[in-house]
Amino acid sequence: MLRAMLRDLRAHKGRIAMTLVAIVLGVTFVVATLVISDSTAASFTGAGTRSDVDLAVRGPEEQPILTRADVDRLAGVPGVTGATGVLVARAAVVGTDGKIIPGRHATAGTGWDDTGRFALTEGRAPARGEAALSRSAASEAGLTPGDEARILLPGGRETRVVVAGTFDYRTLGVESVPEVAFAASAAGELLGDSYTRVELAAAPGTQVSAAVRQLTTAPGLTVSTGEELAAEARDEADSAARSTRESLLAFVAVALLVAMFVIANTFTMLVTQRVRQFALLRAVGASRRQVRRTVLLEAAALGFAGATVGVVAGVALGLLGMWAFTPADEPVTYAVSPLAVGIGYAVGIGVTAVAAWGASRRAAAVPPIAALRLDATSGGPGHRGGRVRAVAGAVLLLVGVLAVALLSGEGLSTTERVLCLAAGVVGWLGVLLLAPLLAAVVLRPVARLAGRRGGPVARLATRGAVRDPRRTAATSSALLVGLALVCAFATLGETMVSMSGAAVRTTVPADATILRSASGDDPLGADVLDRARATPGVDRVAADRYTLVGITHAGGTGRTSVSAIEPAGFTGVLTPRIVEGSGDLRRGVVVGTNEAAMLGVGLGDEVAFEFPGAPPVRQEIVGMIDTIEGQPLFYLDVDRAPAALRDRVTTVYAMGDARAALDAAFLHRPDVAVTDREGVLAEGIAEFQLLLSVMYAMFGAAIVIAVFGVINTLALSVIERSREVGVLRAVGATRRLVRRTVRLESIVICGYGGVLGIVVGLLFGAVMQHVMLGNPLFEFGAPMLVVVISLAGMVLVGVLSAMWPARRAAKTDVLTAVRAD
Amino acid sequence: MQNQPAARARALTKVYGDGDSRVVALSSVDVEFYSGRFTAIMGPSGSGKSTLMHCVAGLDAPTSGEVFLGDAELADMTDNQLTALRRDRVGFVFQAFNLLPTLTAWENITLPLDLAGREPDRELADAIVDAVGLRDRLHHRPAQLSGGQQQRVACARALITNPDVVFADEPTGALDSRSSADLLDLLRTSVDRFGRTVVMVTHEPAAAAYADRVLFLADGRLVDELTAPTADRVLDRMKHLERVAV
Repeated sequence: MLRAMLRDLRAHKGRIAMTLVAIVLGVTFVVATLVISDSTAASFTGAGTRSDVDLAVRGPEEQPILTRADVDRLAGVPGVTGATGVLVARAAVVGTDGKIIPGRHATAGTGWDDTGRFALTEGRAPARGEAALSRSAASEAGLTPGDEARILLPGGRETRVVVAGTFDYRTLGVESVPEVAFAASAAGELLGDSYTRVELAAAPGTQVSAAVRQLTTAPGLTVSTGEELAAEARDEADSAARSTRESLLAFVAVALLVAMFVIANTFTMLVTQRVRQFALLRAVGASRRQVRRTVLLEAAALGFAGATVGVVAGVALGLLGMWAFTPADEPVTYAVSPLAVGIGYAVGIGVTAVAAWGASRRAAAVPPIAALRLDATSGGPGHRGGRVRAVAGAVLLLVGVLAVALLSGEGLSTTERVLCLAAGVVGWLGVLLLAPLLAAVVLRPVARLAGRRGGPVARLATRGAVRDPRRTAATSSALLVGLALVCAFATLGETMVSMSGAAVRTTVPADATILRSASGDDPLGADVLDRARATPGVDRVAADRYTLVGITHAGGTGRTSVSAIEPAGFTGVLTPRIVEGSGDLRRGVVVGTNEAAMLGVGLGDEVAFEFPGAPPVRQEIVGMIDTIEGQPLFYLDVDRAPAALRDRVTTVYAMGDARAALDAAFLHRPDVAVTDREGVLAEGIAEFQLLLSVMYAMFGAAIVIAVFGVINTLALSVIERSREVGVLRAVGATRRLVRRTVRLESIVICGYGGVLGIVVGLLFGAVMQHVMLGNPLFEFGAPMLVVVISLAGMVLVGVLSAMWPARRAAKTDVLTAVRAD
Repeated sequence: MQNQPAARARALTKVYGDGDSRVVALSSVDVEFYSGRFTAIMGPSGSGKSTLMHCVAGLDAPTSGEVFLGDAELADMTDNQLTALRRDRVGFVFQAFNLLPTLTAWENITLPLDLAGREPDRELADAIVDAVGLRDRLHHRPAQLSGGQQQRVACARALITNPDVVFADEPTGALDSRSSADLLDLLRTSVDRFGRTVVMVTHEPAAAAYADRVLFLADGRLVDELTAPTADRVLDRMKHLERVAV
């Protein structure tokens, strides 16, 4: 029995090869994604952490509360052979454009030492009048060793130094990475006299810990050993790794789903094509059980072989991907976890076995008489399964659509949003289950039209595509998933861009000159607002003081964003669209309609903002405006904000014909960027596009594997139809016509998957933007460019996938049709 | 008309394989198929009768020798020329699996014209459909037709282009006797009424009796010929042949 099957397998090398290809590809994709996720995670932990200190004394949360005196005192502890204070202060490198480079500058400055914190990558350690830069800061600012650099210091001071070298930083415990290291002798005068930690070296064999602890009784100070710090770093890295892995898990899931489609489909076809052979086995006395077991065994063997190749290829591809996509100056750790390999095998063998399960039952159900039928290539029961599937699909789709419709209103609570998104997913699953039925419904009229209007190529190709809707659906489902994801995210992105554009354009006048922090995160200096107000030509100004803050309201607590602004500026400079109530901040706060719905608050309700280190600010809601995530959700009178917030100006809006004057006024202020409304928008969009293109790349990989699925299906159906092709050739079809027919059939299948994928993607994208942005369901931005590229891409995919199968079909020997074997 | 060959072969030899597995299927066969005549080719299995037909029809390339369809010498033709020749000047009826399952009966019948980009001649098409007797089933798919009906559709397809020769390879091989008789009548009609030339390979004496002339093949050679055959006389010759072969 087994031997018979093995012989048969060997006789059908081509088909086996294609099943293997499907398994290999599926496994490769999954394993590669896992390897990338593992390696990305491991890169957090990897190079650049230290444990080479004996003891470290630290202030709380990297706050620089240690002084020179503390360092000296610790150095005097018996047994301590060295005490190095780690100085941390504000420092910002000015780039070639005269503005500071973006980044976290508050902790970017430090002093050079030889504790092992710095690993020189170029040049040498800095002397007086020099500084070393981190590799990323140097490349961001466009500086190399020998260049002169301008560096902004605490208190608005500035210094000019020569870049001595560049370094990679090795962290100790949890700490932020500095960008600029001045010579130790100069660091104190430039950066001040506050240290985040003191690193101690002890003579071998001495116990200094107790003595050190006695000296460090000030509140907040902690003493840690090198091992403790290393463990702390490891924990931090692990949690970063976990969250990275979690976000990459979505991609793994997509990979898995697509791989399953391709493997299942190919294996099912492989079994279907051998109906006659199974019938023969049954006729000569094999029991159903034997047939079933043989098929399952075959699947397991194929799955194992395919998984082995796939795991190897996946590891290679994953490592290659890591190597290719990591910026040169970032440390990379290549990691292959046993889990990735295990999942690879589980997918390869598991999915093949599951695919084989249905196929094996079908094979076992083949009546022995089928062996005698000439046309016994298709057939076997399975219609009942089809009906169950269609009903399940219809129910899911209906439930999904109904639920989304019910939740399509504005002002959804958080729970409702989650439900709505879930309903979208349910609807999508429904479409996947319904795909065979949809293929029939959509493609039959196409075939009818092509039959009436088109030539023989169109007729044969379209009929070929509708002939087995289940197969067409299975083939195109992988495409559907990949493309729908791309389109859904593109829709979300497009809507987000257009909405935030619209929100900013509504709120901010076009002729306002906008001053922002050049570094991105840091607030502007306290003087910027006054200086802008005093600039000739400026007639009125307003300033956002934007921050994230805890909020308490009748329904509970949460986090939101708030901007403290001058009441006169809120209505006199900005142009918020007041939907309800008034925009008079003197009477209370104004909130975005969506945020109000999420929190479950309305006009007249009281909310309290919990600013750190200040008593809660209680305010009544007096107005509602149109706004969007990423913009301030609450506006608060600046006079009611805590003093600490009042000076944290994030954006200044200046009205009046004063752009040139403002440009000039802030020419020598590297920390202030002068721009306008469109400049702000363009910057936001560029950042967002980068994020989107990463997503496209990940989901695009799903499309690549789907393409191989199409090739597989086509090749197998061409083999299956060699008799038909023979007849076609015998009655006068040229090789070219056969090729064109196969190609068109491929385009029809891909086109179907593509159109369905785009439609599902747009609809799911509509649900996503509705849920995430609180926009009305059908007011989404259609990503026209992505849609057009997708459609063109599908035609291209159709042509490419058909290349090999079409050539094979064209080579069919005419006599195969004639010989009744 | 009688002596005008629609197709002929000279010194036709076909050898499969080489070395030990060398099989001579046809050994220097000279044959002529007269225009407007119904010729049957008979012989025991392995006698080379199908190979002969395939070579003359341009489906298979002979090892040596010449084949003419009308004036056209097949050996010189490219694949595309051969394809066009099969499409325009030859009709085929195979033993089974003649039809494309996705096309309706009518679409199958007109397929060769369709491939050539021509419209069917309405009058001829009507006449053929009537002769085939499937007017009410034209829009059915092959799967909805019986085996006999499928073969008659194949026959109609072979006639629709007004071909020089219709080749039928064991066309009744998979049919019951009633359907066989219908199909053979149809082939007879296509000679008598439509003036076609029919060449049929068969191993059934009863089928051969429908022909004007029967050629007997054994071991790749033309060994005998019979005009105005009856089933009994064909059977006699066959028995004789098989005795000789043993």
